[in-house]
Amino acid sequence: MATIEDLAQAVFDGSTSKAKKLSQELIDDGMAPLDVINQGLIAGMSEVGAQFKAGTMFVPDMMAAAEAMTAGTEVVKPLLAADDMQSLGTVFICTVKGDLHDIGKNLVVMMLESAGFNVINAGVDVSPEDIVAGVKEHHPDIIGMSALLTTTMLHMKDTIELLKEEGLRDQVKVIIGGAPVSQDFADEISADGYSPDAVSAADLAKSLVGAA
Amino acid sequence: MRTNLRANTAVKMNVFTEQQCQELVFAAEEAMWLTGTEFHDPESIEILRKAGCTIDGIIAHIPPHITERALQTCQKHIVLCNSRTGARELFLEGGNSYFGSGPCTPFTRNPYTEERHRATRESVKWATKVLDALPNIDYAMSLGIVQDVPLLLSDRHEFEQMILNTDKPIITVCNDQYGQEDNIKMAEYIAGGEEELRNHPFICLYAEPISPGVHCIEAAQKMVYGARKGLPTIYTPCIMAGGTAPATLAGVMVQGLCESLSGLVLGQCAAEGSPFIMGGVYTVLDMGSTIFSYGAPELDLMLAGLADVAHYLKVPMFGTAGCTDTCVIDEQAGVEAALSMAMTNMSGANLNHDTGYAEYGTTSNLDLVVIADEVLGMARRITAGIQTTEETLSLKEIEKVGPGGRFRAADIPEPEEEGVFEPKNSRVDYQARLVNRGAREIWEKAGGKTLKQAANEKVRDIIENHEAEPLPKATAAKIREMVENAVGHMPGE
Repeated sequence: MATIEDLAQAVFDGSTSKAKKLSQELIDDGMAPLDVINQGLIAGMSEVGAQFKAGTMFVPDMMAAAEAMTAGTEVVKPLLAADDMQSLGTVFICTVKGDLHDIGKNLVVMMLESAGFNVINAGVDVSPEDIVAGVKEHHPDIIGMSALLTTTMLHMKDTIELLKEEGLRDQVKVIIGGAPVSQDFADEISADGYSPDAVSAADLAKSLVGAA
Repeated sequence: MRTNLRANTAVKMNVFTEQQCQELVFAAEEAMWLTGTEFHDPESIEILRKAGCTIDGIIAHIPPHITERALQTCQKHIVLCNSRTGARELFLEGGNSYFGSGPCTPFTRNPYTEERHRATRESVKWATKVLDALPNIDYAMSLGIVQDVPLLLSDRHEFEQMILNTDKPIITVCNDQYGQEDNIKMAEYIAGGEEELRNHPFICLYAEPISPGVHCIEAAQKMVYGARKGLPTIYTPCIMAGGTAPATLAGVMVQGLCESLSGLVLGQCAAEGSPFIMGGVYTVLDMGSTIFSYGAPELDLMLAGLADVAHYLKVPMFGTAGCTDTCVIDEQAGVEAALSMAMTNMSGANLNHDTGYAEYGTTSNLDLVVIADEVLGMARRITAGIQTTEETLSLKEIEKVGPGGRFRAADIPEPEEEGVFEPKNSRVDYQARLVNRGAREIWEKAGGKTLKQAANEKVRDIIENHEAEPLPKATAAKIREMVENAVGHMPGE
């Protein structure tokens, strides 16, 4: 008989088919859907996160585990009431206007999703106006902005100013990242946080929604 | 009489055979044709359409005959000159390897306080003085984005600091086409006109696509403008295995070549015959830290491979060496920088940048530049190889000294032939200037310094005492005026 530990192990191993199969078996055995998620899927993912931080697992392991977790979640999700399935919050994330670099931003998306955030990835070259429109539409808890260039990072400041003008600044936390960005720059433009890499970006997001 | 003898006059390494180079180039041509690359500049799309490429929205599919023609027509004999005298200094061809710094680090480390801070006009001035003073550094790049000025004008200020503080050739990396236009104007003023600059280029231009397969508007416009000006342009993708390219190293090679050669095609279609330099920083996305690694052995390996491809194509190659992932200049920095410089020099990549990059390319460090200069002396000695001639086999000398005798300079017979051309590689033994070879007591008496300490002292000495060959006062004043009057353009607007 499948155990919840087997499911956690399947996520840890990054086995999508096993995670799917074991999630179904546990549900069929009568386990509560939320327990399958929390004690099986998320437990496996948390172990991957811990090992990644310790330097014993790597990005591909993280991605495979995240895919396995998603596959398992899809089996369980239809059985949950709408408010049972709580995410840590919504993050609206993009690369700023005039900038098409997105590898770092995409790594942050992966880490945020793995941590349990609902992420709206708005892509690259997103203007301050479009970010504000995104905030109005999706009501995110956090905006994440990325820039690779010292010239395009200026749009981060413009976006924060536009959020203020629109009266939205207090409703959302703003976090920033990218090679030329620093904590000093974040302070200068009154962002709520900066992180130097994808793992600490997820930690930062968690702390901003009170989940760390 | 020695007959039918083949000898190595230099040490050289190869990663690929000619057939493998051909395989890689054909694979790149296929990717350029089948998959195509994105061009975000409407004018570039028009240029490519007129040339016969298939345009699908912003994707240009480049047929192989156009790529092959571009490889034929681009200027391959490229010379970079001294900015004060016009003297022809760097011949970017064959197995000639030249080295210099890198551009655009947001941060730098202050050589006096060790503080890591954003690069400034002063830090670029100091960096350029160091580059100017070191014998094995052949050209200058800024080693920092000037950020104590309006950011949209940083490129003009970098150029001003460089041209004031060195007469060596300069590679200028501009924010956009407007910055490039301004910097070319300044260079033309110094050279005495457009044609003078084209005939004695002391600047080299630089543009960078975004992997995988995206030519942003700035890169495409800089390529087109540079080609029309007839100035050498480096087109250099910075790609990472497993991140912005396939995880296989051969896949990275194909992806990178596809991007570089697409840039070449754009330049040739805009201005046939324009000088082109194929660049690349090919490395891995480190799967533990997610950094773009500047110290990975895969970087050294792939770029040595790219040098083989460049030699096969007879196109000048822009390489990468003398850099490190570590945050301070420590043993790791020495290991990574030395490995890359030795390998790059042996591969014969022509114009090699990023000497002095620390912290995976985000922070420049002048101590590392000075150490790199020393390592380059060693690397160049190694690649100079061992000459085997009747004279150097030294049989006469061995006979004269005899068993148990002493070898003295006086016993060396007079050389039979003089005036042999020796480009950069010194065939005399390397003279240590910075590394310690002293016995313990001598080393202790001299202060018991580490290499890092000795390098830092040299950096400070250069900053305080070295002066480059100056620009005429009136010229410097005119450059100041041009920088002050420059107008910045916000990206995306």
